[in-house]
Amino acid sequence: MKGVTTYIYRDFIRWIRYRVGVVSALVLPAAWLLFVGCALPVTFTGNYLDFITPGILVMTILTAGIASGSLLMFDKILGYLNKFLAMPVPRESILVGKILFISIRGLLQATIILVIAVLIGATLMTPLQYGLVYLILFLFGVFISSFSTTVALYLEEHDSFAAFSAMVTMPLFFTSSALMPYDAMPGWLSAIAHVNPLSFAIDAIRDVGAGSIPAVPILLLLIVTAVVVVCAGYVFRKVTI
Amino acid sequence: MTSILADNLTKKFGDLYAVDSLNLAVEKEIFGLLGPNGSGKTTTVLMLTTLLAQTTGTASICGHDTRREPDLVRECISYVPQEMAVDPNLTGRENLLIFARLYGIPNPKDKVDELLGIMELTDRAHDLAKTYSGGMRRRLELAEALVHEPEVIFLDEPTLGLDVGARQNIWQHIHALNKKGMTIFMTTHYMDEADKYCDRVGIISHGKVVALGSPAELKARLMNTVITVTLEGNYSPVQLDGLVFVGQSGNAYAFTAENGSEALPLLADALGRAGNRVKAMSLREPSLDDVFLQSVGKQEEPRGFEEMKFRMMLHRRH
Repeated sequence: MKGVTTYIYRDFIRWIRYRVGVVSALVLPAAWLLFVGCALPVTFTGNYLDFITPGILVMTILTAGIASGSLLMFDKILGYLNKFLAMPVPRESILVGKILFISIRGLLQATIILVIAVLIGATLMTPLQYGLVYLILFLFGVFISSFSTTVALYLEEHDSFAAFSAMVTMPLFFTSSALMPYDAMPGWLSAIAHVNPLSFAIDAIRDVGAGSIPAVPILLLLIVTAVVVVCAGYVFRKVTI
Repeated sequence: MTSILADNLTKKFGDLYAVDSLNLAVEKEIFGLLGPNGSGKTTTVLMLTTLLAQTTGTASICGHDTRREPDLVRECISYVPQEMAVDPNLTGRENLLIFARLYGIPNPKDKVDELLGIMELTDRAHDLAKTYSGGMRRRLELAEALVHEPEVIFLDEPTLGLDVGARQNIWQHIHALNKKGMTIFMTTHYMDEADKYCDRVGIISHGKVVALGSPAELKARLMNTVITVTLEGNYSPVQLDGLVFVGQSGNAYAFTAENGSEALPLLADALGRAGNRVKAMSLREPSLDDVFLQSVGKQEEPRGFEEMKFRMMLHRRH
């Protein structure tokens, strides 16, 4: 546990010292919210901001989570990883530290979005609802960062990983239910959107916003996340022995 | 107890033997592993530090097997890789504090201050590590390696890329650590440093140990004097009693002879008769360079770059 918190502390300081990274992480989601949420002429819903906010939240967690792999990759390339692996600290704490750091950082970004959304006209939710939103985002963050870490452990160079993350992020976002409801999509898109993991998290957050407690989606998300975490741990063990 | 013990340690990457049946016993000393690029030095260090699994053979550190008790091994070692891995955007103190916390030291702050003092970094402790010179970064890494007072420290090319002063300073620290009872296992390219500071050296070539002993012993094995001849054009071999051809580096050819000053004129004549054009000749005591040249022979750069093999090695290394 000491190892995990120390690794998280290290990544946090490194992130904060790297000011451009902080600004970009906070400004980008806000920009999405303002430009897409307020500018698109939409007819299918009354308050488009309420509709789009879950999409932007999940997209932010997605981009933040994919970066998890590149963080580990740089540790590997620059020699830090070998140094840490030669220490008696349980090796898995390196992996857990990375996943938690990325997920917590994602939640910070999510908070900014939630605040701005309310400021520009989204409906204020109850504390319980916000709690559920955070829970869903956290699970989704762990899911995505474990996934990207696993991929990073397999790939050799940072360029391959950058290509991978570019290939994954945008298509996933545009084929999800982030921008429009299923019945406003063409048939083929709706079919893809239904199996897209992003839609899954987005729909769950929308359910929360609509006043219900999406117990089944949360449970499913929990199971899928657990599976991916176990996979990440397995691969990590395999490549570091 | 023997600090480092390797018994037939072998590592294969595909059909390439990176390390081939390595046998080694290192006591509380400064041990230098020397060898040309790609000879298996780093692979050996990675196996001894539990970062890479060997194909066959065993290794133990302070009596603990590296495969069966890796955690116990990691408790008693420190590993400083070649890369100078200190976080540039953290201060020296913060870098060190992270290591103290990771090792679970009881009073991390006191320990950190003590080590900063030992490594002469107290004045700059609160500056970001990216403002440090190469020598300071190395000292910071040494400090990190000392946090848990290990019994064995592995240093991969500790003085690579440092200026003369910084190198000397690093060596003073390494020497002091050894005096305090730590075993130092290091790899280096610098023969003069190995000669001056290592108690014993092992020369490794194509994954095999080809010479092992104290620098003085190894040099003594090369007989008394080394004659270096600089030639213009090609070398046509000569045969003389008591004269041994050692090796070649550029257009300089090294020979050894029991009595150098007598052999020198004889050699000059013989070379001339064989049609060599001699530019210069010199006489000196053997250095570790000569031992190295003789042990590993003339080094040939691998002809083609074998992408597959290289990738495989990269993959296994990390």
